[in-house]
Amino acid sequence: MGSGIVFNIQRYSLHDGPGIRTTVFLKGCPLRCRWCCNPESQSFAIEPAFDARKCINCGGCNKSPSARRELSLIPQCPSGAIFAYGKEYTAAEILDAAERDAVFYGADGGLTLSGGEPLAQPDFAVALLEEAKRRRINTAIESCAHVPWDVLRAAAALLDSIFFDIKSLESEKHRAFTGVGNELILENFRRLCTAFPHKPITVRCPAVPGFNAEEIPQIAAFARGVGSNVRFQAMEYHTLGAGKYVMLGRKMLDFPEVL
Amino acid sequence: MSNNKALSPQETRLRTPQSPHTRVEQLLRKVQTARPVIDIERALYFTQVFKATEGEPPVLRWAKALYNFAQNATVYVEEGQLLAGKIGAGARYGVLYPELDGDIYKKALESVAARESSPFDLNDGDKQRILSDIAPYWADKTFHEALVKAIPQETFPLTYNRDEESSSRFVVNETASFRSSIQWVHDYETPLKIGFLGIRAQAEAKLAALDEFDPVDNARRKPFLLAVILTADAIILWARRHADLARVQAEQTEDPKRRQELLGIADACEWVPAHPARSFREAVQAQWFIQLFSRVEQKTGTIISNGRMDQYLYPYYKADIDTGFITPDAAQELLECVWVGMAGYVDLYLSAAGGAFNEGYAHWEAVTVGGQTPDGEDAVNDLTYLILKSKRDFPLNYPDLAARVHARSSKRYLYELAQTIKDGTGFPKLINDEEVVPLLLAKGASFEEAYDYAVSGCAEVRMPNRDTFTSPCAYINFAAALELALNNGTMQKYPGEQLGPTTGDLEDFATFDDFFAAYLHQQKHLLKHAFIQQYHVNRLREEHFAAPLGSSLQSLCLEHQLDLHTQFIPGGIDLGYFECIGFATVIDSLSAIKTLVFDQKSVSPAVLKDALAHNFEGFEPLRQRLLRAPAYGNDDKSVDAIGKIIDREAIAFTEQYGKSLGVRLDLRYVPFTSNVPFGKVISATPNGRRAWTPLSDGSSASQGSDVEGPTAVLLSNFNSKNYGRSHRAARLLNLKFSPSSVAGEEGTQALVRFIEGWCALRLWHVQFNVINQETLLAAKGNPQEYRNLLVRVAGYSAYFCELSPDLQDDIIARTAHSGF
Repeated sequence: MGSGIVFNIQRYSLHDGPGIRTTVFLKGCPLRCRWCCNPESQSFAIEPAFDARKCINCGGCNKSPSARRELSLIPQCPSGAIFAYGKEYTAAEILDAAERDAVFYGADGGLTLSGGEPLAQPDFAVALLEEAKRRRINTAIESCAHVPWDVLRAAAALLDSIFFDIKSLESEKHRAFTGVGNELILENFRRLCTAFPHKPITVRCPAVPGFNAEEIPQIAAFARGVGSNVRFQAMEYHTLGAGKYVMLGRKMLDFPEVL
Repeated sequence: MSNNKALSPQETRLRTPQSPHTRVEQLLRKVQTARPVIDIERALYFTQVFKATEGEPPVLRWAKALYNFAQNATVYVEEGQLLAGKIGAGARYGVLYPELDGDIYKKALESVAARESSPFDLNDGDKQRILSDIAPYWADKTFHEALVKAIPQETFPLTYNRDEESSSRFVVNETASFRSSIQWVHDYETPLKIGFLGIRAQAEAKLAALDEFDPVDNARRKPFLLAVILTADAIILWARRHADLARVQAEQTEDPKRRQELLGIADACEWVPAHPARSFREAVQAQWFIQLFSRVEQKTGTIISNGRMDQYLYPYYKADIDTGFITPDAAQELLECVWVGMAGYVDLYLSAAGGAFNEGYAHWEAVTVGGQTPDGEDAVNDLTYLILKSKRDFPLNYPDLAARVHARSSKRYLYELAQTIKDGTGFPKLINDEEVVPLLLAKGASFEEAYDYAVSGCAEVRMPNRDTFTSPCAYINFAAALELALNNGTMQKYPGEQLGPTTGDLEDFATFDDFFAAYLHQQKHLLKHAFIQQYHVNRLREEHFAAPLGSSLQSLCLEHQLDLHTQFIPGGIDLGYFECIGFATVIDSLSAIKTLVFDQKSVSPAVLKDALAHNFEGFEPLRQRLLRAPAYGNDDKSVDAIGKIIDREAIAFTEQYGKSLGVRLDLRYVPFTSNVPFGKVISATPNGRRAWTPLSDGSSASQGSDVEGPTAVLLSNFNSKNYGRSHRAARLLNLKFSPSSVAGEEGTQALVRFIEGWCALRLWHVQFNVINQETLLAAKGNPQEYRNLLVRVAGYSAYFCELSPDLQDDIIARTAHSGF
C-alpha cells in the first residue's frame, strides 16, 4: 500500500462533509491561489517552519531567529517553535487513525481528504479511499480538480460525497489569481456530473473580495446548471492563515484586504 | 471580544439582561444578589435537645431534635412564592451542624466572612449565641474530634496537620468530618403515595408487634420505631405551621390574587406530607418539605438529591393535565419555585477543607431525568421534556440536572439534551446507563433496581431502598504518591518527614518499569492508610449520627429497624468509593519520565530532580520538553496504558481489602473542586506543571494538554478504564466547547453524534461548558458585570465570579474544543 505526505490529521471536523469527520490534509497543490489560507499545503516537500510565539529564546539552536527554520534543528528545539509541516504516512496508518473515531461517525460521518490538492498525490489518495471503503468508512473529498480526468474518475468512484472548488468562470482571471487557467477544472466538472449523476456534489467557492466576490451568482448558476446533483455553497473569505506565511518565512502573497 | 464570534445563549443574555417578567425571576433576583448568611436556628434547637437527652439512643435524640425544630423554628412563606418552606432567614442562607464540627467554631467563625473560598456573613448577636449556647456543648463531643483521636499514629501525618484544629493535609484526606453522610437519594415515591401518616401507621404496627421481653426489641427496635413516629409527627406539625402562616398572610394581604395563592398554599400544607398527594401541586409541595426537612436532619455531603423527579411526579402531572386541572406552563412555574428555593439554601462548610472542596457554595441536589424504567423501557415522558424546557427557559444552577442516556434513547430526547447543553449553563450533565446499569448488576443489584437508579450528588448514583452505605470516603492524592516515588518517600511541602516507604530516588532506578513499580508501591501505601481511615470512619459514625427521616424513607431500615447510619444493614448493598485525585497529572508525569529519562535518555534523573526542586526556575527549556511529552487525553494508547495500570492496581487493592471492611469501595474520579487544594501541597511535577498549582481534575486531561480534539479525550478515557473489573465508580469528565463548534442545526447534530459516541464508549459521565475563553477572562477581570455567569466546575455549575482566583484560572486553562 502506498505512502504519502500529510500535513495534518484533523479529528472532530464538522465542516468538511456530513457528520463528525476526520479530515486528512495531503501536502502539495498545483494551484497558487493568492488568498491561500493554507500556505503550508502548497509544496509537496516536508518544510521547516518557525513559530516565534513558542520560542523561549533558550539559545539551544545557536542560531539567529531568521536562521532557525531548519529541519535539522527540530530535535534540539525544546518548545516546538522549530517544527516541520508534513510527515510521511502509509495509507494504513491514516486509516487506523481515522478508524479510531469511527464510534463518533454515526451514519454519515467519516473520512475527508483535503489538501493541498489531495488528488495531486493520486496513488496515495486512491489507496486511502480504497482502504476506507474496505473498512466501510464514509468518504468525502475537497478538491480543486486541477488533475487528470482519469485520476478524478478513479477517486470519484470511491467517494460518497464530493466538494468541488470552482473559483472563477473567467480563465484569464483564474490564471492571474491561481496560476492556472480553469479549462481543465470546468471540463472535469462537466465530465464528473455526467459520469456520476447521482453522486452528491457540492460546489464550493470562496468569495474573495477583488477577485470573484461579484461573480458568485454566475458561478452558482453555472454549477447548478451542469448537474441536478449539484449543490452550491459560497465560503466566507478569511485571512486566518496569515500567521502561517510568517512561520514558513514566506512573503505573504498580495492578500486582498477584507472590506 | 470580536464581534463575529458565536456566543452561547447564556453569553447573549449576559449582554442583554432580560427584564424580570415572572414571579420566579423576581425571586431569583433576590437570591442572586444576596451574599450568604449563617442561620443558627437549626444548631440552637438541636443543641437544646442534645443537652437534655444525654445517654439516649442517637436515633431518638435526632427525632426529638427534629420535633423541637418543627415546633419552634421560624417558618417562612416567601413573598411571591407558590411553595411554602425555607430553613433559614435571608435570601441565601446556610445552617450549622455542630454535631459535625462544633469544636472548630470558635476559630472558624473568625475567618468565615473573610476567607477566599465561599465566605458567609454572620451577625454579632448570632455569633455570640454560637459561642455561648452552641459551641461549648459540642467541645469533646464531635465526630471530628473522635476521628482525630482514632486515627493511628502512622496514618495521622498523611491525614492531618498537627495544629489546633487538625486541619487537612490533602494527601490522604478524610471527608467524613465535614458531612454526616455521603450524597443520598430518598425514596420520594412512597411518602407521596401513602403520606407520613401511612409511614407512621406502619411503624405503629411494628411497635405493637414487638416482644415486650426481648432485649433487642427493647433496646434497639423500640427507640427506632418511636423515632420514626416522632419524626412523622414533626414533619406534619412543621407543614401545618406553614399552613397557619399562609392563612395569616392571606388575611393580611390586599391583593386578591395573592390571597387565593396563599389559601391554596395553606390547603396544600394542611394536607401534605401527612396524607397522599392529590395533585401535582401537592406532590411538589410534599417533595419540597421532605428535601428541606432532610437538610434540617443532617448534612449530607452534597445534599439530598431529588431522585427521578420525572418518574415519581409523572402520575400526578399526567392526571392533572388530563383533567385540565393544571397547564404545562403552570406546572413549570411550580417546578421553578422549587429550583429557586434550592438556590436559597447554601451548603455551609466551616472547615477550610470543606470550603475548598466545595467552592462556589457548591451543592448538588441532582434531579435525574430520562433513562429507563425498572422494566428496561425508555422512561422519557412529557415531564422529562418540561424539566429540560425549564432549564432552557430559566437557567439557574439549581437543580443540578442530570440526564440519563442509553443506547435506545430517542432522537428527540438527544436533540433536546443537545439543545439544552448548548444554552451554555452546563446542564444537563449526562450519565450513561450503558455503563452504570451493568456495573450495578455486578455489584449485586437486581435488573429492576439497576434500571431504576438515580443520580446522586455530582456524578454518583443510588438505588433507593437498596443502597445502605452512607460513610463519606477518602480522597487520595495520587500526585503525592508520585512525589514520594521521586524522592524516596518524602515531599517538599512537608520537609523532614518520612511520609512514604523508602523506595529510592529517581536516580536509583535502572528502568522505567522499576520506577513505575516504586510509584505503584507508594500508591498502595496511600491506599493502605486510606482504608485504615475508612475503617475508623465506618465504625465511629453510628455512635455520632442518626437519620430517622432518612431511615423512614428506606425500606430496609424500616424492615430491620436499624438507623440508616448503622454500619451494616441486612439486605443492603454497601457502595462506597475511594477517590483518585490527579490522575492525568500522574499519567503525564510518568509518560514524560519514560520518554525523556529512560527511552530517549535526553534528560538525566539528577537534572530532572533539580528542576523539580527549583520549580523549573532556570530550567525552562527542560519544562518545555516535559510539556511536549506524550500526554493523556490524546487517544495515545501507549500513554493511556499507564493510566490503565494505575487504575487496575488501585482496583486490585480494593478487590482484596475492601472485603475486610465489609463494604464495596470502588475507584472513583470525581474531585468536586479539590484538585485545587490537593495541588497546593504538590511541588513541581515531571509533566511540566509548576509547584502548588491545580492537579488535573477527575478523569479529564491535564489543563491544556489535550490537543487532538474532544473525541480523543473520550477515547483516552475509554483506553484507561478496566472494563473487565467491576470495582469502578464514577469518572467525571469535563469538556469545554466553544459556542461556534455547536452553533446552528449542524452544531446540534454534531453534539448529538458526539453524545451517541460517548454512550457507545460506555463512559460514565460527561458535562460540557459551552463558553468563549474571552468571556471567562472578561468575567475574571470584571466580576461585577458577570455576576450571573454560570460555569460547569466539577459535577456542578456555579457562578464563575464566586470561585476563587485559582479555580477560575483552572477553568480558563482547560482546553476549549472547537470543531474544525
